[in-house]
Amino acid sequence: MSRTLDRRAALRLFTASGLGLGLAACAGPGGGGASPAAGNSPSAPATSGAVKGTVSFAHWRAEDKAVIAELVKAFVKKHPDAAVEQDISPSADYQSTALRRIQGSKTGDLFTAFRGAQFQQIVKAGVYAPLTGTDVVGRYRASLVTPGAQAGQQYGLPYQLVFNMPLANTDALDRAGHTSAPKDWNGFLQLLDDLKAKGFTPIAWPGGDTANAGQLLNTMVMNNAPSGDMFTKIESGVYRVTDDWFLKTLEQYAQLAPYFQDRATGSTTDAVTQLFASGKAGLLATGSFQMAGVRALGAKFPFDLVAPITTTAQQAKYEGVFNATFILGVNSASKAQPAAYAFLEFLSDPVNAAVYANGTGQHVTVEGVEYTNADLKAVSPWLARRTLLAPRFQFLDLDIRSAVENAAVAVVGGKKPAQAAEEAQRVIDQKRA
Amino acid sequence: MSSTRSARSRRASRALWLFPVPALALYLFFFAYPTVQAVQYALTDWDGYSAAYRSVGLDNFRQLATGDDVFRNAAENNLKLMVVVVLAQTALALLLALYLVRTTRASTVLRALFFLPTVLSSVAVAFVWRFVYDPDGGLLNSGLRAVGLGNLQSVYLGNPDTAVYWLALTQVWFHAGQMMVVFIAGLQAIPRELYEAAELDGAGRLARFRYVTWPLVAPATGIVVAYTTVQSFKAFDLVLGLGGNPPGPALDLLSTRVYTTFSNNQFGYAAAQSLLFMALIALLTWVQRRAIRRATR
Repeated sequence: MSRTLDRRAALRLFTASGLGLGLAACAGPGGGGASPAAGNSPSAPATSGAVKGTVSFAHWRAEDKAVIAELVKAFVKKHPDAAVEQDISPSADYQSTALRRIQGSKTGDLFTAFRGAQFQQIVKAGVYAPLTGTDVVGRYRASLVTPGAQAGQQYGLPYQLVFNMPLANTDALDRAGHTSAPKDWNGFLQLLDDLKAKGFTPIAWPGGDTANAGQLLNTMVMNNAPSGDMFTKIESGVYRVTDDWFLKTLEQYAQLAPYFQDRATGSTTDAVTQLFASGKAGLLATGSFQMAGVRALGAKFPFDLVAPITTTAQQAKYEGVFNATFILGVNSASKAQPAAYAFLEFLSDPVNAAVYANGTGQHVTVEGVEYTNADLKAVSPWLARRTLLAPRFQFLDLDIRSAVENAAVAVVGGKKPAQAAEEAQRVIDQKRA
Repeated sequence: MSSTRSARSRRASRALWLFPVPALALYLFFFAYPTVQAVQYALTDWDGYSAAYRSVGLDNFRQLATGDDVFRNAAENNLKLMVVVVLAQTALALLLALYLVRTTRASTVLRALFFLPTVLSSVAVAFVWRFVYDPDGGLLNSGLRAVGLGNLQSVYLGNPDTAVYWLALTQVWFHAGQMMVVFIAGLQAIPRELYEAAELDGAGRLARFRYVTWPLVAPATGIVVAYTTVQSFKAFDLVLGLGGNPPGPALDLLSTRVYTTFSNNQFGYAAAQSLLFMALIALLTWVQRRAIRRATR
């Protein structure tokens, strides 16, 4: 029996297909697509199985690729049945898409996470195989791995250690007559005056680059705020940016404005890094993570770190801030878990961690690492100083973080501190609603 | 005999109806299905990865309409960008097309030069223009200093009142060549006899443009305006390249806002923003096309 597919029949067919797809779409967000691990409490990784298979190592540091490749070679020599493939995304992409990519372990048997919002989301999604009780945790400085823990459980191991505080050209500081870091706000302003008098741009600050403009805020609030979890409390509504301590911070930003390079609110990180590397600026208000980049631009002067102490010397609780992003974790759904864990152990060995640190120009949180890189050595005393875990990563909501950071940028651009604070608080209130 | 013909005709008719099926299947799967899903997500507080979520009704839309200054700021930036880009790009593309419509060796070279930016990657364009706008050693400020106009130096992208207009300039530079090609095609389709007749009637250059060129180039103008509108709303990689990720409030647009909201793991809210965004583009395109049709009737 043959039937003609006329216009009406075709329309019926397409309508039925559309309705079917519509109903399928209505099956529910997450339905079918959610990780089987979501909402579960994953068990500890398999640490004792045969070290074989290909480990996908997902991270965002393309600049580390060669050093990691070197370490992978040594790892494979030790475990011939295993292989490691680096899956590198740009950091901004990694921040926004990593969770969806590593969920279900299509990639990232061993993966990294940013501290703060991303780490918490990955924990919530049940992707971390908890490391509590495994041998590898003991290889790290206990005080530096807290960003990888939650509710008493060690989910990840913060590997790389950075100091998010201004990088100093100590030759310039010497010429300005400062052989040691200022101990209070007046001393800091004096240092900036002296640098200016010697013809230097006192502070090179990338006000036009949102990712790096906010780094200075870490040290500007570290001693002003009533508690170390100040931004968590701003996000939860316990503190407000219109409170005195934050208004004081904004007023201090206004005081700093004449010491930044001209038209600082539009400057990019590349431009200010170049300015600093050329020896024309005394301080670079980003962090130690830029040491290797500054050297690559040909800087010959020695480095140190100098944070603004925004209070009196007696009131100052902290000398600087540190941060540990690049949190290594084993995927709970990995099919190559023993190999992924073995590679984590391998990276956590002080000898291998030293290869990573000296090769990339970054400190690590692994205990007993010997730094041979001259810049890392010079900044190493900071490992033992009074430093606060960088506050800006306490924000879990990017819009609230932007509002707070932009208030500081707006003040440098000429806005009144009180007005900038009120506008930021309005956004915070809306986002919390 | 006639029954054989009728059977053949039925078979042919059946075959004809099968031709659009692959295209429609693709359309349903890649457009209808995600759209229906987006509508459903927009009614929830889903974070994008959890199995659990809550239905929140129209709350996401209510928040967008009444209590989201960040979204409103992005929408305002986008509207400013659209107005400037549509006007400037359409006018510039039309002027270039009028100037270069005659095929000479010089016009061929110039057309290629004006079209060149279009083939560049938007990321590369963003990086080049970031250098142009850099307030320290950037091309614009250095140039102003070099010609003794240092007092006119500006912060460009760092000034919240003007940043979006500098973004508009980059976008016009980037796409005007492409729109010029559309206008050239439209101008070349106008019969020469109409100009000759107008000239015989004593029409001057302006009158020829007013009564011959403009009405006949209207379909091309409609395409250019609609395309430019959509393009100004979809500007994304250029903005991230110029303003960073996430861009500050001065350069935040609806497209970057949706992206940031997704990155913030507010999947339901981002879906609501996307739907509003889509509706806004559709509405603006429809209004513009109607306005152009009326103006050129």
